[in-house]
Amino acid sequence: MTDSSPWNDRRRGARLAALACAGALALTLGACGSGDGDSDNAGGGGGSSTTSAGYDAGLPSDAQKKGGTLKLLSAEAFQHPDPGQAYFQLDYMVAYAVHRPLYYYEPSNSAEPIPDLADGEPDISADGKTVTVKLKRGIKYGTVDKKAAINGKEVTAADIKYAFERALNPSVPNGYFAAYFTSISGSDKAKGGDISGITTPDDHTVQFRLDEPTGATLAKALVMPIAMPVPQSYVAQFDAKQPNPYETDPEKQAFSGPYMVQDYQSGKSMTLVRNPNWVAATDSRPAYLDRIEWVLNADANVAGRQVFNGTGLVNGDTPTPATVRRFARQAKQRISFSPLGNRWVPLNTQKKPFSDINVRKAVLAATDRRAMQLTRGGALTGDVATHFLPPGIPGYEEAGGAAGPGVDYLAKPAGDPALAAEYLKKAGFSSGRYEGDPIRMVSSNDSPAKETALVVRRSLQSLGFEVSQRSVDQSTFYDMCNDIDQQRKIDVCMNFGWLPDFFDGLAMLNANFNGASLSRINQNPALLDDPKINKAMDDAAQIADPKKRAQAWGDVDRMLVAHAVAIPWFWDKQPNVVSKNVHGVIARWNATWDLSYMSLK
Amino acid sequence: MLRYVLRRVAWTIVLLALVSAVTFAVFYLLPSTDPAVARAGKQPTPELIEQIRRTLGLDQPLYVQYAKYMESVFLHFDFGYSFDTGQDVREMIVTRLPATISLTAGAVVVWMVIAMPIGMISAIRRGSALDRLTMTGALLAISAPVYWLGLISLYLFARDIGAVPIFAGNGTYQPLTQDPLAWLDSLLLPWLVLAAGFAAFYARMLRSNLVEVMSEDYIRTARAKGLSERRVLWRHGARGAITPVVTVLGLDIGILLGGSILTETVFSIPGVGLYAYEAIQSADLPVIQGTVLFSAFFIIAMNLLVDIAYAFLDPRVRLA
Repeated sequence: MTDSSPWNDRRRGARLAALACAGALALTLGACGSGDGDSDNAGGGGGSSTTSAGYDAGLPSDAQKKGGTLKLLSAEAFQHPDPGQAYFQLDYMVAYAVHRPLYYYEPSNSAEPIPDLADGEPDISADGKTVTVKLKRGIKYGTVDKKAAINGKEVTAADIKYAFERALNPSVPNGYFAAYFTSISGSDKAKGGDISGITTPDDHTVQFRLDEPTGATLAKALVMPIAMPVPQSYVAQFDAKQPNPYETDPEKQAFSGPYMVQDYQSGKSMTLVRNPNWVAATDSRPAYLDRIEWVLNADANVAGRQVFNGTGLVNGDTPTPATVRRFARQAKQRISFSPLGNRWVPLNTQKKPFSDINVRKAVLAATDRRAMQLTRGGALTGDVATHFLPPGIPGYEEAGGAAGPGVDYLAKPAGDPALAAEYLKKAGFSSGRYEGDPIRMVSSNDSPAKETALVVRRSLQSLGFEVSQRSVDQSTFYDMCNDIDQQRKIDVCMNFGWLPDFFDGLAMLNANFNGASLSRINQNPALLDDPKINKAMDDAAQIADPKKRAQAWGDVDRMLVAHAVAIPWFWDKQPNVVSKNVHGVIARWNATWDLSYMSLK
Repeated sequence: MLRYVLRRVAWTIVLLALVSAVTFAVFYLLPSTDPAVARAGKQPTPELIEQIRRTLGLDQPLYVQYAKYMESVFLHFDFGYSFDTGQDVREMIVTRLPATISLTAGAVVVWMVIAMPIGMISAIRRGSALDRLTMTGALLAISAPVYWLGLISLYLFARDIGAVPIFAGNGTYQPLTQDPLAWLDSLLLPWLVLAAGFAAFYARMLRSNLVEVMSEDYIRTARAKGLSERRVLWRHGARGAITPVVTVLGLDIGILLGGSILTETVFSIPGVGLYAYEAIQSADLPVIQGTVLFSAFFIIAMNLLVDIAYAFLDPRVRLA
């Protein structure tokens, strides 16, 4: 996904929009983060309250206590409160507090999901074509309207089946079903009605039959909000309407999680209160807080100060650079940084000159990734990437960890002009400088994307490229760099980045680099369609064993680097800040607060 | 008079239709993100995009979309649903209007209470130290951008983050009907901030108008008739000087009722302006259309009121 769409433009609807201000964080953070050795990877587990650099680790502790009201201040608003449509960081924060998916990531360990609604690990058949999930018993719905028929009723397998089916209903346009669930038998014909591949042998068993042996991947994706129960008997009446009241009036939802939405004023506020029907004994979440109030569309600068000075407050979305700077300097123990995604510059592998691997390697070698990092604010906002899988994602270590896979053209973060010249000679340019046709580059004209593009342009020019750069507004950039017909004419589409939908190599790499994912709205801007890499990805998608799967995706990452398909240059970190009396706990898979683990001191 | 008003109302409808047509054209003719693609998520299938396009009514020809929209607006007062949130636009605007009206009304009172005496005293004591002081202050206030002034005032005076905690801060707005005292408390600082620039502008305008009026022949005549200076000023001078102020005031109120985007944003007041700002950020056409039409309506309506008020304020004006 492009930097200028999901990362900076919440229009996209993707939860990557959460990184909106990660873009704005750049430049001005240089003072506290640029190259001062202050980098601190807070992505690991452990029980320490602070990281080695003194920042808040954002982890749960035994000292947390129950009670109180937490207030979140957010410059952005929710996009889709309906769990069937939720696909945005803020929406996820609420969805996972008020509903329970089949599987859930504990804050201290995002490597492997734990059963939530499910009663144990998913059972994947030997042929990888059937996934069976048993549900816990005794989990009940709560509703704000006590007279609602569903209030107090037990969650059943049929509710999971309906949650998937309604995702194909025109009144519940789900943004990721096509990416992870189209292998479910019968889903291609469904329009919101029955999906024959999802069956419920009994009230507490749901079974997914697949057309392809990708059960392992489907099992991984059962952490997503689509796997939160939706009772058809109660919700079908809403789903028949357009717009859908289950989305516009979330107070009407049937809640299975520890909280429920008591009040929602679109664009203004949301209030969560305890769900009296939540069965704590079946849930690993402590749910310390009594009440959670969310102020939407707050002024970001003022909100940062309010959190700094006040009590019982946290940021609801990405803090401003000034806020991050203030906390990093004056209240280190109240700011945490969580790794959350990657950024890379795709090179059009289907068009000259970048169809030549040696030209691509020359560009990777010449690019000053350190300078690119500085354009985003330096080490505090992220690390110089050496490959594609970011820290924390299974496969990261297997792909080379922080040091990278060891290729010479990514060995020097500040660039290696001599090596670049060598690769250009191998590509047939005897002078060591590119002497071919001008190349077309498209970038966003927003800061810091435009500054990052400038660094890349200079690196290209240093190799002799004549760069015809088009700097456009974000929406135009999105239209150009996600449209495959446009992409075919462009050599370099700047400002791409990606956040995983769940912690897995597939969720990071498949859409961006698998030739099978090439489509009209295309997230594979390098237009990579390498049969060996495609096969490696397809094979990796079928592996259920966590270690083997991590190894397989690490190997895919190494192949991508070996083919120099793009310039991997940044692993982002999301900052989060708390008031003095707040114990903040980060859901690392979402890089922001886990409301069910937050507490007041 | 009635014919005049009816003609103006008819013209208002034409103007609103033109405004909506321009907004519609700008949205579709200039490069902009396809709302269906934007809504479809990261990895959409063409089927999903088409499905959303149908749902949002974007699969129909532009002229059909526009005609349907116009029909809904003018026949049913229906502004459609937000592309982004699915919320009813009319309902959202109506819900947010009290906050905008509260902000506007209070600010108007504040700025007129400040501007009237300053403008008149400055005009009467033209060239005095007081005149120079107030006019310099006015210049500074006009020059200060609302957003900057809002942030500075919050950092200085807000109870939660201010150095001298006096006023309620950001995000404290309460509807009048819920808690009148909290409403008043939450709006004091926004009123002062919004009013600062306007008060300065009105004071300068009133001063220059009054200075000009007081040199008119009819003022000399009034003085020659032996009227007291106070009577000359209030009965003849002020009435003539205030007429242009009413014109501008009407327009300003109309504009502010359409949404005080900056003030509402910096103080997080959930009014129409903030709603419009959110919609612009997310290319949410129905909301943009709705807020633009509301804004245009208020401006046109206030213009009409001003023209009618003119007839009463200035005997030379007769509505044809």
